[in-house]
Amino acid sequence: MPEMLHNPDTTAPAPPPRPPIPLPAVESARPALLRHGWWERVRLGKIGLFVASLYLFMLAITLMKEGARAVAPWVQNLLEVSSAANALGFGWLFAYGIMSGSPVAAAALTFFDAGLVDKLGAFAMITGSRLGASFIVLFIGFLYVLRGRDRSTSLSMGLLSLTVTATSHLPGLFLGALLLHAGSLDAVQLRSGALLRSVVDRAVEPVAGVAVALLPDWGVFVLGLGVIWFSFNLFDKCLPQMTLKESQLGWMSRLVYRPWVMFLLGALITMVSMSVSLSLAILVPLSARGFVRRENVIPYIMGANITTFIDTLLAAVLLNNPAAFTIVLVEMFSIAVISIVILATCYRRYQRAMLDFVAWVTTRNRNLALFMAAIFMVPVALIVI
Amino acid sequence: MPVLIAVENPSQAEAPLNLGAQVATRGHEPLTLLTVIRHESERPAAAAMLARACEAVQDYAPDVRTQVRVGHPATEIVCEAEEGGYDLVIVGDGPRRNLMTRFLHGSTAVRVVEHAPCPVILAKGRIGPLQRVLLCDSGSRDPSVGLASNSHAPPAPGMGRRGRRYPSVLSRFTELSVDLLDGAGEIVVLHVMSQMSAGPGVPGKQLRSDTEGLVEERAPEGELLLRDIEALQRLGIRARPQVRHGLVVDEIMDEVHQGDYDLVVIGAYRGEGWQRILLDDLAHRIIVELDRPVLVVR
Repeated sequence: MPEMLHNPDTTAPAPPPRPPIPLPAVESARPALLRHGWWERVRLGKIGLFVASLYLFMLAITLMKEGARAVAPWVQNLLEVSSAANALGFGWLFAYGIMSGSPVAAAALTFFDAGLVDKLGAFAMITGSRLGASFIVLFIGFLYVLRGRDRSTSLSMGLLSLTVTATSHLPGLFLGALLLHAGSLDAVQLRSGALLRSVVDRAVEPVAGVAVALLPDWGVFVLGLGVIWFSFNLFDKCLPQMTLKESQLGWMSRLVYRPWVMFLLGALITMVSMSVSLSLAILVPLSARGFVRRENVIPYIMGANITTFIDTLLAAVLLNNPAAFTIVLVEMFSIAVISIVILATCYRRYQRAMLDFVAWVTTRNRNLALFMAAIFMVPVALIVI
Repeated sequence: MPVLIAVENPSQAEAPLNLGAQVATRGHEPLTLLTVIRHESERPAAAAMLARACEAVQDYAPDVRTQVRVGHPATEIVCEAEEGGYDLVIVGDGPRRNLMTRFLHGSTAVRVVEHAPCPVILAKGRIGPLQRVLLCDSGSRDPSVGLASNSHAPPAPGMGRRGRRYPSVLSRFTELSVDLLDGAGEIVVLHVMSQMSAGPGVPGKQLRSDTEGLVEERAPEGELLLRDIEALQRLGIRARPQVRHGLVVDEIMDEVHQGDYDLVVIGAYRGEGWQRILLDDLAHRIIVELDRPVLVVR
């Protein structure tokens, strides 16, 4: 009977040709990786880009450290960043301004190293940088909406990313503040940090010295900020094309996984790519074929939000400042704890709430306008209070 | 089609017996009533309970046998289903044990659903005439995919991963259980799309289309539903398609409550090896959360 049901009439005339519907690409059963040796796929150019981006990252941290004191009057008097709330709003808006979170997080550490902000201020600024960075995916989607594309399709992922980040980072802010105050993680330090620092000093000091000699101190900081921004862009380019093709993943990409599995996958992929935006970009080609499922996305973002701090952790090591290292570690730990608590206790309700909120924002232009206004007004309000 | 009805507890027996009587009446099927006891000392009480149960269904099913087994309820029900070559098992929701027992051993019904070799009806909630049936079809023929909608990339007809042949939820249902419906019944074939766009450049029209839209666009989901409806109509069953967008479990629950269905039909996978660790068991969540009879076909 099943055969009859699915092949009811083999003599019937052939149906008209189907319009193009996304279907899996037909590829050889043997993956390309096995047809050729892995060494043939190694690209020296990419390795060169990676080394260059790493060098520029180290140089940038050194430059920002050297110039951070010079921007103190701007940060403290002009922007009046004197409290954790101010720092949160400042980091948030700063990330909007340069369309990236990692340089802002690195700047927060150099500000802390220079004594411009205290531990809590640096911690709040780093949190703000993540909130601002989440806006990038949303902003790109918003540009598509302005060009007449569908609101829901264009904005859903950006909105989910922003709301998941906000709902895990804001409680994480309070938990982190408690941990910083108690000094619970102060003893956890990277023992080889000093050795790494001495290597870095030898490698970047000559170049940094030239910049310090030629530029005013504030110019050194701005140059450092520009270099770190450029180094992240370079790092993005040196990563292999992480567009996981459906033909490579096959049927695995179509399944609904346990939230924990997606949580770990998001953390793992972002640990390699060091960018939530990049981790989410990997999903785009899959979603074009309808393979990205609501059930899988939220824990993936939650996992990505933790390991995206890997580069900030490296920046803390390069600064050779144990307290800065603790700040980043507390940030990662508190976000991980909040995410794990959500996953273990109220994940289904949380998932529904997030998706309902995204649906509400994309339902009407008025809701979208309200949301966009709020995500600009809140950081401004945090700065002025 | 021999049918096994597991009667675990007198207070929980009414629902499975009621359903069993309906199946027996429509299909003139032989029924076996089974109860599982922990110790031999419980046998007289179990025999008395089965005798009462037998009386309750005898008017509908002339061919009724009884069976008592000793051991763990879920294990013994599954063993009886395997040894007796039954085509359908009906189990009640079972007594509510304490939280620790449920955590360690799981509900008897759920364990039977997971391990039985044939379709299982979990008889729970209000049992009435089976007039309205909701059939949840993911379009998948691979049991590892379970309820997930994946028809953007359908496998070759009838073929699952590694070339193994898997029947669809619909064919498994019609093959075994279409007798459950009388002429007045209606089946709604539901397909839930939980896919979403991950980027602004992704053309997402089909990710939002309603049933008519998907059929008109000849999207894979539309074709799946059309194929199901035509197959059911050829069997003389009234059927209509339904597409919902959202989380699979939530949308199925919403549809069940809005449509006031008498029976929900879902597919399930056995959850072996790495799949058990990695994949979310949507079927398990549905059978636990639903407040009415669920037929799990495999």
